[in-house]
Amino acid sequence: MLASILMSGLAVGAIYALIGVTYNTMFMTSRVMSFTAGQLGMVGGVLGSLFALRLGLPVPLALLATLLCVALIGVVTEFVAVRPVLKSLDQHLYVLSTLALATMIQHTVAVTWSTEPRPFPAVFGFAIAGIDEKFWLPVVTCLVVIIGLEMLYRRTLAGHAFRAIAEDNFAARALGLPERNLRIASYALAGGIGALAGFSGGLLLLAFVANGPLLNFYGFVPVALGGLGNNRGAIVGGFALGLFQQAMNFLVGGIFSSVAVFGLFILVLLLAPQGLFGAPVARRV
Amino acid sequence: MKLNRREFTIGAAATAATLATPAIAQTEPLRIGWLAAMTGPSSAPAIGFNRGVLFATEAINAAGGVKGRKIEIITRDTQGDPTKAVNATQEMISSVKVHAIWGPTNSGESLAVTPIMARSKMPNLHPCVVDTLIDPAKFPNAFRISPSNTQWDDAVRGYALNILKVTKVAVIGDTTGYGVAAAKASSEGLKKDGAEVVYLANVDATQPDMTPDLLRARNAGAQAIVVWSTSTGMDARLFNTRATMGWDVSFVGHPSMSSGDIAKLLEKPDNWKKVYAVGYRSCSYDDAGKLPARSEELAGKLKGKVDLSDTLLWWVAAGVDAITLFSKAIGETGSTESAEIIKYLNGIKAYPGYFGEYTWTAVNHNGYPTADVVMSDASSAKDGAFRLAPGYKG
Amino acid sequence: MTESAPSIATTAVAPSRHNIGHAGALPIIAIFLAAIVVPFIGNDYWVLIATRAAIYWILVSGLNLVVGFAGQLAIGYVSLLTLGAYTASVLVAGNATPPMHPFAALLAAVAVGAVAGVIVGLPALRLRTFYFAMTTLGFATIVTQIALAWQDVTGGGIGLPGPTLPAPFDTTDGLYGLCLGIAGTCSWLTMNVGHSRYGRSLVAIRDADVAAEAVGIVKSRLLVLIFILSGATAALAGGLFASLQTYITPDAFTFELSVLFFISILIGGRGSILGPLIGTIVLTLLPEFAAPLAAWSTFLYAALLLAVVLAAPGGIAALLDTKSRKPLQAGRSIDPRPEELRTLLPARPEPTQLVLKDLALSFGGVRAVNGAGLTVTSGQIHGLIGPNGSGKTTTLNIISGYYAQDAGTITLAGQPLPPGESTGRCRLGIARTFQTPRIVGEATVLDNVMMGATIAAKSGFVAALLSLPSSRRDEEAARERGLVALSAVGLATSLAGVRCDRLQHSELRFLEIARALMSEPAFLLLDEPAAGLSAEEIDRLAGLVTAISQRGVGVLLVEHHTDLIFDICQYVTVLNLGEVLAAGTCQEIRAHKEVVSAYLGS
Repeated sequence: MLASILMSGLAVGAIYALIGVTYNTMFMTSRVMSFTAGQLGMVGGVLGSLFALRLGLPVPLALLATLLCVALIGVVTEFVAVRPVLKSLDQHLYVLSTLALATMIQHTVAVTWSTEPRPFPAVFGFAIAGIDEKFWLPVVTCLVVIIGLEMLYRRTLAGHAFRAIAEDNFAARALGLPERNLRIASYALAGGIGALAGFSGGLLLLAFVANGPLLNFYGFVPVALGGLGNNRGAIVGGFALGLFQQAMNFLVGGIFSSVAVFGLFILVLLLAPQGLFGAPVARRV
Repeated sequence: MKLNRREFTIGAAATAATLATPAIAQTEPLRIGWLAAMTGPSSAPAIGFNRGVLFATEAINAAGGVKGRKIEIITRDTQGDPTKAVNATQEMISSVKVHAIWGPTNSGESLAVTPIMARSKMPNLHPCVVDTLIDPAKFPNAFRISPSNTQWDDAVRGYALNILKVTKVAVIGDTTGYGVAAAKASSEGLKKDGAEVVYLANVDATQPDMTPDLLRARNAGAQAIVVWSTSTGMDARLFNTRATMGWDVSFVGHPSMSSGDIAKLLEKPDNWKKVYAVGYRSCSYDDAGKLPARSEELAGKLKGKVDLSDTLLWWVAAGVDAITLFSKAIGETGSTESAEIIKYLNGIKAYPGYFGEYTWTAVNHNGYPTADVVMSDASSAKDGAFRLAPGYKG
Repeated sequence: MTESAPSIATTAVAPSRHNIGHAGALPIIAIFLAAIVVPFIGNDYWVLIATRAAIYWILVSGLNLVVGFAGQLAIGYVSLLTLGAYTASVLVAGNATPPMHPFAALLAAVAVGAVAGVIVGLPALRLRTFYFAMTTLGFATIVTQIALAWQDVTGGGIGLPGPTLPAPFDTTDGLYGLCLGIAGTCSWLTMNVGHSRYGRSLVAIRDADVAAEAVGIVKSRLLVLIFILSGATAALAGGLFASLQTYITPDAFTFELSVLFFISILIGGRGSILGPLIGTIVLTLLPEFAAPLAAWSTFLYAALLLAVVLAAPGGIAALLDTKSRKPLQAGRSIDPRPEELRTLLPARPEPTQLVLKDLALSFGGVRAVNGAGLTVTSGQIHGLIGPNGSGKTTTLNIISGYYAQDAGTITLAGQPLPPGESTGRCRLGIARTFQTPRIVGEATVLDNVMMGATIAAKSGFVAALLSLPSSRRDEEAARERGLVALSAVGLATSLAGVRCDRLQHSELRFLEIARALMSEPAFLLLDEPAAGLSAEEIDRLAGLVTAISQRGVGVLLVEHHTDLIFDICQYVTVLNLGEVLAAGTCQEIRAHKEVVSAYLGS
């Protein structure tokens, strides 16, 4: 029983963590919390199924196509829902525009794809140490993404530029960094990470349109716990959430487990509004 | 053009004939409302029923309609939302002024619209399973064309206890309204019949790993697992987990377990073995692959016109029967008055439909014979019909 | 130099009951009159749809105060609809208590909703926008899951019948009449709140929360009040919804419904009552006209929302607000009228002092203020100058209570000011302006000025809600006073009804002074009021500030325009790196060697 909870908890936790990283990546260069993060993950799973099963492409090609498409959706998010409202001083507008876009994405998929879960292909098809691919793939993907991001942010110029914009927007612009292009790039990157979350989690969560709001919420919890913009916190938060959720499923059953998760989430936020690892919010006066 | 005497006479005769016949031979179409959850969750049944509805309508209209009047189907997509269902029902009653309503297909919607239809005495046939929907005293206008949940439950319980001959049962439902209620009712029924419910759980349909629940069921000594879930994803996960665990136990339960969707969600086709889902004698084929006579007749008529490979035969058949029943009611009573239609339906005895042999009386509006509810081998779908589960006699 | 245009006489255009950019009560009354006609010209179906719209509006009218006015993004409000529906149904069915009369059950639902509204809303006091939105979604799920799980009481998945109301409300038309009446009442109640100082304060929290604290608006208290109100209306809507549906199951309360409520408000326009009313009606009716598009209805709502956000963020209300598109008089000038100050600031009997002693405050490792001290006396203008980063604004912010000092004291008339309590400063007699004008752009000039009179009001929330005479008296008094203040600082009263975001920067600076004077402050803190003003306007400012100090107000003036400082100040304190470099009269400071080298230059 414990083994089962660990396995499935870490697997879904990895997916949640990746969505949390998606949120953070979009936040980094725009200071915008986008409601589309979960939908990116869902579309990653759906497109993966579409390309690999419905259209019969070989899996690596399907993955590439999925990454490109979802990255494109990320860029569209920036164009349509983020950039136009950044100019306004109104904080609430981006919540609305991204919420609207996320709803539109979800319902388009619901009507054109299906409201039932559809199968997802096995990527590698082998188990590791007796653990089925659907449990180890998300965790491995999460680790690969984290390592990749660390290398990006620390070793490449683009990564440094991302971090500069995230830390001090004005200074970065004063230095001549192309803020707009970097923002578009980071939204594309976020799309890619979301796609990886959905694709690697496809076997576990299936290609299912209801994953959108599910990932939106459960992917947000790691961000709330780990602190906005803090990827390491998001990873820890994600795994913790996954394990907690599976443990609750086991202990109190399906209905009450979601009540437990939501309840705990609200409680933690009230006690630590910046997250357990978060930084205090900037001065407002 | 000058009218000659012959033409005039014929014309006069025709006019006289028209004036002499009763009101029914007017050209106004017969409007039948169809509350269909065509999109949204759980849309597969409505899509199936719809094929039957359209087929029957076309067939009847092509043969001249009902005493010369064409049938017009007014479809409203309720998306499984009780609010939309209520709106659509009232629209059908007050604005469109339909003569009868088929549907809704979803119990949650039906619970909300049944009182409204009762208020307007709108004749209503529907395939929803929740027991409380049918009450000839409160809702004299509502008739159920398919089994109630109790009848489903009786079939499942009967199979588990009398044919599989188990005494310890696990009951697993999903966390939807239906799943929670059905699991509870099922568990109570089992206990009343002397079986032991060793594990009862409601599992979130999106839960990715079913291992904890199946492990607990096994540890508690379950000899069969009764499943009440409408989610094919959850069903597939259960089957796959059972195989991974290497547990040789049977699943008995909700018809969703025989849905074609499941095929692609399985890790191995064998994972679908020993799964018995609710089915109907009329839609079950024998070892020779033959359906009962009437169903063969329907299958023949549908061939080439209606695709059965991705739906269930019983949905299509029930849709056909519903439209046929309404048109017969109006045709034979010669009236579109709701009281007449209801009286006619109350008098139906062993009516040979394609889906079932219906009997309704003034005090019983559950028309489907319990004996015809059987378990099917879930993996044996062929053109929407299934092989009878092993152990049935006759 | 050209003659400045004379300002228009003060008593001329006193704007009547308008508020934050909408057309007034008349269109709302017209809509309800049209609604009364529906049962007579339409059939049961149209009455049903109209009843539904009325019920949705009952919920949205309250939610409007939370989302539209206060700017709290409560997306998951279907939770309160669910709660109200189940409470009413369970109480009537007698599943948990002896069966209740339907009206008693509805009242009980209202009470439950009021409490739940506060619970759902409380996170708003601690969390930022997006996080709060997520918690409301969490609550929506929790309520639905509990309804599902608590089978014995709620019927679980099977649900239970909704309450049947007693005659004559048990017919289609009867229920419609009841819902319409309640909807009309809710419109009236929320209009009253919107037009009152509470409406102003809500919008202030949303758009200028820092300034709101300075005028004494306590965010938490205010939000709790409207959470109670909106929770109550939402639960009442839930009970009526259950009656309309005749039977409720958990799956009737969808996320799509929550989104519909939310979008109605935003399409309608924030800070308006009429806009969201129209929005609600449109969104309820839309799916009925576009039956083939049923599957796409939520997509269309979302697309509509996106279009509104991108193209017309003010929503329907902004589109209807033709007044705000009328061109303003060009070449306006600011002409203070010091004689008006006599009405605003009655003479103060004894002079008092505002004393800062050994103030210290660090941010992280940076010592922003390090042992600063000064004394401001009533009737005097005290300048505070120094290079950028010397701690001038931080010092003001400590006095204002936005920051609690690490060490040191501030006393006013001998009484120490509680550190870090920004909302109490106004009542203690301290008012201020800000480095960048903090005003509510969408509100009118007069509304912004009237914010300053918040603490003067004697009537409470209930009086505002019911538009009692005491509340209307307070409003009139504040309005009168506001017009005088506008005139005193030199803004034409013809500008009173103009949206603030159409004003020039310099006009906003003077407006802030008008707002500050509304509370009859003992001490006025001015944070770089001359920034961005023309030379002529700085002259006028100098005259105005001098006149204010002559009425007995002590002024602490932070400025970079040292000419202005030396022109009007009696005393000057110079800060450098958080410490007092020098303090004394203007002559002493002008000659001070270190000040000259660090800041003034030769």
